[in-house]
Amino acid sequence: MIDEEALGWVIRTRDPEFTDWDGFTLWLEADPAHGATYDALMAADSDLDSIVPVEPVAMPVAANDPGVRARRPLRWIAGGAVAAALVATVSIAMFNRSDIYSVTTRPGEIRIIALDDGTKVEMNGGTTMRFDRKDARFAALDAGEAAFTVRHDVANPFRVTVGDAIFEDAGTVFNIVHTAAATRIGVSEGKVIYNPQAEAIALPAGRALSDDAQGLRVMDVAPATVASWRQGQLVYANAPVTQVAEDAARSLGLSVRFTPQAQAMRFTGTIRLDRDPARFFAEAAPLMGLSAVRQGDGWLLKEGNGSPN
Amino acid sequence: MATGLSAIFMANRPALLRFVRARGAGDDAEDLMQDMWMKLEAKDLGPVSDPLPYLYRMANNLMLDRYRSSSRRERREQDWAEGAGGVMSDPSEDIAIDERMILNQKLDQARAVLRDLGPRVELVFRRFRIEGVGQRVIAEELGVSLTTVEKDLQKAYRAMLSLKQKMDTE
Repeated sequence: MIDEEALGWVIRTRDPEFTDWDGFTLWLEADPAHGATYDALMAADSDLDSIVPVEPVAMPVAANDPGVRARRPLRWIAGGAVAAALVATVSIAMFNRSDIYSVTTRPGEIRIIALDDGTKVEMNGGTTMRFDRKDARFAALDAGEAAFTVRHDVANPFRVTVGDAIFEDAGTVFNIVHTAAATRIGVSEGKVIYNPQAEAIALPAGRALSDDAQGLRVMDVAPATVASWRQGQLVYANAPVTQVAEDAARSLGLSVRFTPQAQAMRFTGTIRLDRDPARFFAEAAPLMGLSAVRQGDGWLLKEGNGSPN
Repeated sequence: MATGLSAIFMANRPALLRFVRARGAGDDAEDLMQDMWMKLEAKDLGPVSDPLPYLYRMANNLMLDRYRSSSRRERREQDWAEGAGGVMSDPSEDIAIDERMILNQKLDQARAVLRDLGPRVELVFRRFRIEGVGQRVIAEELGVSLTTVEKDLQKAYRAMLSLKQKMDTE
């Protein structure tokens, strides 16, 4: 049987904002058994680490919209579909205009695009984007990764179209990755609004959003690690190793495959981007608990630390 | 050199001592205070926004460590008596395939329990327990009352702790 009072204190004292230590002291003093019960429950709580699945949370979309709340399967049916339809018409219109131009970087190549209003887009390798000569407040990330440093203008916000989603800045430095399987954004300064016309999820600095097969999720991210590829580093918290490989492939221009066991693994930590693939994998693979083997013009990552067999 | 934090520690030493005594430190209470003082002096922790709660949390964590290491010792002595382990195995060693399968099974069970609690309770629990977000912030994010978040957490915790208990006795 779980002691309700003690559980209450476990939850309260675990809260980062807990301050009622006097109240807690009084409860403990009321009965010497309280301390022991609390200790046992706290230990049980930390034991939960081994069974709590660590995937990030599916964020219920807009709290004032009960229809879409926390229901993954429904996520695009409400506002999203409308927004997608809107974006589709807009982009067709834009494709027909001659002032839209496209920029593509080769894998391993980094390009910095200065938009004339003081806004800067740093394109990582293997990335395709579209810009508008007539509208410096528009960018579309079609594939790959880019970091945005945006001059904020309330009257005329900067918008990035990514697939069928729109990110609108609210004074900002942020990074977006867009692959066939996922869209991820991390915000390091200011604030970004995801799909302002639909879900309208506000992402302040230190928040990240990811949209993939598992649904739409919002999580925390260390602001300093957002777009760390610009400093030659990749920083992860519990990321699938496949994501690490995609990021490395973009920055280094190589292709990576996984054995089935290896691709289920996750990684937390920092990896230095070494331009030399052999050196990169010699350092990075053991960090991920994997070993790397060169295969033709790509690399195969498999389980286990090293020992060739 | 006394940093700001150690000065606040000294000023609140009686209250902190009372706290660790209430926590069950017994005769070790004074030693624990000494430990804390040394820790505070040893490293420059930089500015702490809310120093007194920080010190209480530190004291509470010391007590938790103490509890954990004593229960670990008991378990180890018990294992030894039962002849379970000649060589102490390193828990950080790679786990075997069958153990990994059992672990995956447990994770699936935990996932199912969380899912059955409903999306809001699951979300609240994850935000709180995994991502370390406070209850007030969670309540704001979801547009629900603090009481709702508290109740959700109680519910989730009870379910998860019972599941863990069940797993351990299986």
